[in-house]
Amino acid sequence: MLGTANATAEPLELALYARDAGVAEGHAVAVCWPATGAQLAAAVRVARAHGRPFVVRGSGTGLAGGATPLGDPVVIVTTRLDRILEVDARSRVAWVEPGVLNLDLSRAVRHLGLHYAPDPSSQQACTIGGNVGTNAGGPHCLAYGVTSAHVLAVEVVLPDGEVALLGGLAPDEPGYDLRGCFVGSEGTMGAATRIAVRLTPDPPEVATMLCAFASVEDAAATVSETIASGVLPAALEMMDAPITRAVEDFVGAGYPRDAQAVLLVEVDGLPAGVAEQAAQVEAIARAHGATAVRTAADEAERALLWKGRKSAFGAIARIAPDYYLHDAVVPRTRLVEVLGEIARIAAAHRLLVMNVFHAGDGNLHPLIVFDGREPGTWQRVRAAGTAILEACLDAGGVLTGEHGVGVEKRDLMPRLFGPDDLDAQARLRDAFDPDGAANPMKVLPRGSRCGELQRVPEGTWI
Amino acid sequence: MDLTPLQEAVASARTVVAVGARTQWRIGEPVAPDAAVVRAPAGVVRHEPADMTVTVGAGTPFGDLDRVLAAAGQECPLDPADPRATVGGVLAAGLSGLRRLRLGPLRDLVLEVRVVLGDGRVVKGGGPTVKNVTGYDLPRLYVGSLGTLGVLAQVTLRCRPRPTVSRWCRAPEPPPAGTRPSAVLWDGERVQVCFEGVRADVDAQCRGLPEIDGPVLPAGAHRGRISVPPGAVRPLAASLAALRGLRWCAQLGVGTVHVATDDVPALVAAREAAHAHGGWLLCEQGAPGLPAFGRPLPNAALMRRVKDAFDPDGKFAPGRLPLAGAPAAGARA
Amino acid sequence: MSGPLRLDPDGLVACVACGLCLPHCPTYRVTGREIASPRGRIAAMRAVEAGAAPADDAFVRAIDECIQCRGCEAACPSGVPFGHLVEATRAALGPVGPWWRRAAEAVALRLLAPRHTLLVAATWVLLAAQRLRLVPARLGLPRLRAASLRPLDLPAGGSPDAWLFPGCVMDAWMRDTHRAAARVIRATGAVVARPGAGADCCGALHLHTGRIALARRLAARVVRSMPGDAPVVVDSAGCGAVMKDYGRLLGTPEAGAFAARVHDFSEWLATRPPPPVARTGRTVVVQDPCHLRHVQRAHGAVRSVLRDAYEIVETDDDGLCCGAGGLYAATRPALASAVRDRKVAAIGRAAPGAVVASANPGCTMHLRAAGLDVRHPAELLAEVLDG
Ligand SMILES: Cc1cc2nc3c(=O)[nH]c(=O)nc-3n(C[C@H](O)[C@H](O)[C@H](O)COP(=O)(O)OP(=O)(O)OC[C@H]3O[C@@H](n4cnc5c(N)ncnc54)[C@H](O)[C@@H]3O)c2cc1C
Ligand code: SF4
Ligand code: SF4
Repeated sequence: MLGTANATAEPLELALYARDAGVAEGHAVAVCWPATGAQLAAAVRVARAHGRPFVVRGSGTGLAGGATPLGDPVVIVTTRLDRILEVDARSRVAWVEPGVLNLDLSRAVRHLGLHYAPDPSSQQACTIGGNVGTNAGGPHCLAYGVTSAHVLAVEVVLPDGEVALLGGLAPDEPGYDLRGCFVGSEGTMGAATRIAVRLTPDPPEVATMLCAFASVEDAAATVSETIASGVLPAALEMMDAPITRAVEDFVGAGYPRDAQAVLLVEVDGLPAGVAEQAAQVEAIARAHGATAVRTAADEAERALLWKGRKSAFGAIARIAPDYYLHDAVVPRTRLVEVLGEIARIAAAHRLLVMNVFHAGDGNLHPLIVFDGREPGTWQRVRAAGTAILEACLDAGGVLTGEHGVGVEKRDLMPRLFGPDDLDAQARLRDAFDPDGAANPMKVLPRGSRCGELQRVPEGTWI
Repeated sequence: MDLTPLQEAVASARTVVAVGARTQWRIGEPVAPDAAVVRAPAGVVRHEPADMTVTVGAGTPFGDLDRVLAAAGQECPLDPADPRATVGGVLAAGLSGLRRLRLGPLRDLVLEVRVVLGDGRVVKGGGPTVKNVTGYDLPRLYVGSLGTLGVLAQVTLRCRPRPTVSRWCRAPEPPPAGTRPSAVLWDGERVQVCFEGVRADVDAQCRGLPEIDGPVLPAGAHRGRISVPPGAVRPLAASLAALRGLRWCAQLGVGTVHVATDDVPALVAAREAAHAHGGWLLCEQGAPGLPAFGRPLPNAALMRRVKDAFDPDGKFAPGRLPLAGAPAAGARA
Repeated sequence: MSGPLRLDPDGLVACVACGLCLPHCPTYRVTGREIASPRGRIAAMRAVEAGAAPADDAFVRAIDECIQCRGCEAACPSGVPFGHLVEATRAALGPVGPWWRRAAEAVALRLLAPRHTLLVAATWVLLAAQRLRLVPARLGLPRLRAASLRPLDLPAGGSPDAWLFPGCVMDAWMRDTHRAAARVIRATGAVVARPGAGADCCGALHLHTGRIALARRLAARVVRSMPGDAPVVVDSAGCGAVMKDYGRLLGTPEAGAFAARVHDFSEWLATRPPPPVARTGRTVVVQDPCHLRHVQRAHGAVRSVLRDAYEIVETDDDGLCCGAGGLYAATRPALASAVRDRKVAAIGRAAPGAVVASANPGCTMHLRAAGLDVRHPAELLAEVLDG
């Protein structure tokens, strides 16, 4: 069913699928590019018939190694499943194939006054299928909710090759929320082949504000107080000084180069509410010593400000060739303290750490930048990374807010979950994938299932 | 919060059913009568107003929770019809409130759950922060599970700022595009609509509309809740309007239709109409003897595996969810 | 590291594999494969450079399939110098492809392009062949007209206000565009001339196929052909992009100074007092040639010069390449037409049936072959000049 044009075992091509945008590397035994859901199902069955696990992959922009092939799997790429199948503007629902790019969907429905709300910074490049896989978030998820709040139904190929429709367009499907389990399962419960997503009406009024501060603490305090004051911004993002400058070099959006921290705040809704909230945010920012508060004058300026924010990760390579990015979440009340702790840890490990993150929901992205070509750097980076995560957990946080566990955070899971908790998660996964064939060695550390023998071969990767 | 009494009660019984305020007891098939009744503890464990999260015992009545949150200018829109309903009960039943149009479904409110499993172990899923993708999404799995996967003992919920003004109006037709209603109810003739937010916006949206005390839903001895794709509401309404003795009211844009009647056959006919439009009718009240769901559950085999994974001995709420196959007794490793 | 490809190591490590360039790569868009993407090509270069992979057929194909549109470069927040990396890789690999393609390229690039009179003569032959219907339409060659081949009515050399650079293929096949450009330039009150001897070809096609030495020789001749400090106006985006990069290519201060004088036609026009034009209200869809948008980043000017006379409509594809790519459309017809299909669809979504403005001869020919009505901004303006 899959011709040779749709599959390969050519070494160079396999090597290009050894990793995603994260750091972990693996090895695929074959890669295929199905063009229909039926072909994808066939690929799963063929892989299983050859005793191979499979890894489904979208654009490979994941940062946690979710799409990294471990256990010598077949990699199934969804980039050719890129059709928008149906748009129902009245019911505000679209059916899409998993390879549709996030931003392409929003663009395709723009003329209807609608958009797809979850907007990861990688939205121009990442797929809806990958977003479902990681339960992706984005700046505007603060008010609108992450991917799982926008996915109504998913047609999946289960790891045994069977096709099932999880969830539905009706609001209360009886029984367990299997759709909810699947979203964010990082390809370990099967592959999505069709997805029904909710489309969101464009807000009647938007105000996008750029607030500059002379210190990170002032900016963080503004965030905490904004949330506490009952304002619910559509987005509330923070960037520190080095990031701001790197971004400004790339987009030239007018970000203040001399600020120690900037907040990008957006409030939306009906006119009076927007005006009131914008005024409130500005007052809070000024009370915390904001050196400048600027509101985007038009859509073009707003787009440019967002382009800057969304290019931040990429732009850091202008500072140093390598980065190591974390994705912890802390309670919003602890932001000031945790950011201080992160700075101390970085200094102690002689590393440069930058912060660009979804401040409004406490989703930190401490970014360690370095040059991996310098000997010994990686060790320091790893040590600092672990210390930062520990600090976040100690403050009542969690390991990942949107990038997923993948292989990157897998072995840290026991820091957040006890053996019984992990056992419950392992049982849930087993219900979908009793043989562990879907994206093996991801999410749950070895030995999560209580009293069970390991079935994964040892030492296939480092 | 001390969960040990609950853990012991669960561990020592052969079969158990968690009970809240019994306000939604008709949801799902009847539970085997010999199941031991257990109750989750009540009380607000921690409210972090600046974080907009709250942790409560699952046995906490919604009204109690709402009072605590209101004092801080916040709310958690579980929105049960009866404020005596417990938080755990509302979540286990899984039915969202009238404001779902703007505030989303129940399942998006739950951040962390602590659940007591059959052998008395407490298992945690999710996490206390407002954003989290660490591990599999157990909180969503438990919403709507009707107590069949374990007893919800303690939950952490997301709160929101309480709107300064919340107003219900009667309207001749659904509000136009560009407005942001929290709910739009339509009974075939009239519309009841809820607007929330700052006063100026609410005033502007309500202009010229008579204010009402609150929404009126159809009443009757036998009640059900139809769930269809939102686009199917109008064609379904045409079918429902033809049924004698059936009163109904639809949540436009959501796909939920509340139906009530004094005679069971009308409810049966309404169920057939729901099926014809690709949906369900869930019995909510009365209708003795009428199956709760009316159709085999979708993906019942996969649901069975999930059930066995969490409740291998079939201990929880036996009979509640009609899943294919027998409980895999002794499947435990 | 410096391996068999002799690439700039800092340029290579600048890629952090974020994937933000993927949707901007035409070959990735139509194939969905990493190996046909910027990120994949860089990873492959890295592997070859580090000795971890051989420069085998698969590698050569990966590099050869790149259209060198540099959409990736404009999209890359890390500033990966993709264009230079791929040019250097091509140079290290030498001419690639099947023998007939290498032979045809050699004739076109070594024999014809550097000798303009030969190219024009060959064009007369081609014209005759077209008349006799000996040239299959699917090659997408422009319909040549004898009238168009009459000499350009422009003085050569001297000290004009602006030079108009005619180029090789374009001067042979699309002279009408130069005539239109000259009319518009004059309408702004400037005196325009064409270069003296030596400006046969800018060397862009040579550079893109890895013939760097020849490209340098041609470039040096071009620099000498337009002395003084008058601006050099180029109405081919592909030529303009390379000429703006002569400083780096030749590495001399004179070349750098020359490069600074190079302007795309619209870019130059936008700095002049606007010529008097009649407002038509007609719709024009702007197609951004890659080397105008991604390399010169001067695509905004096209809009500002056309705006007075036409209704401008944008496509929704972020300036994704049309697949022309110099010789690419001829050497990789299948991929090139798959890429073009996306562009044609985007234009159709923007304004079905409308005239398309394109500032590059390669794109123009490629899109015309798909049945679109494509004109150079200079032609669109010349048409509506008052008086
Ligand atoms: C510059 C940059 C910025 C980013 N910003 C954000 C951000 O703001 N928010 C955020 O959440 N993430 C962000 N990310 C991470 C990444 O873009 C997201 O995780 C995204 O959802 C991945 O999509 P993808 O198509 O690249 O999926 P991949 O990386 O290919 O796959 C991701 C996971 O999903 C699984 N998967 C893929 N397709 C399917 C399918 N069809 N069915 C089931 N599982 C599937 C894979 O197995 C894998 O586990 C960013 C990444 C980069 C490089
Ligand atoms: S070339 Fe640039 S945009 Fe593309 S993957 Fe590399 S760093 Fe990212
Ligand atoms: S130059 Fe164009 S074709 Fe080549 S990798 Fe970059 S975007 Fe793709």
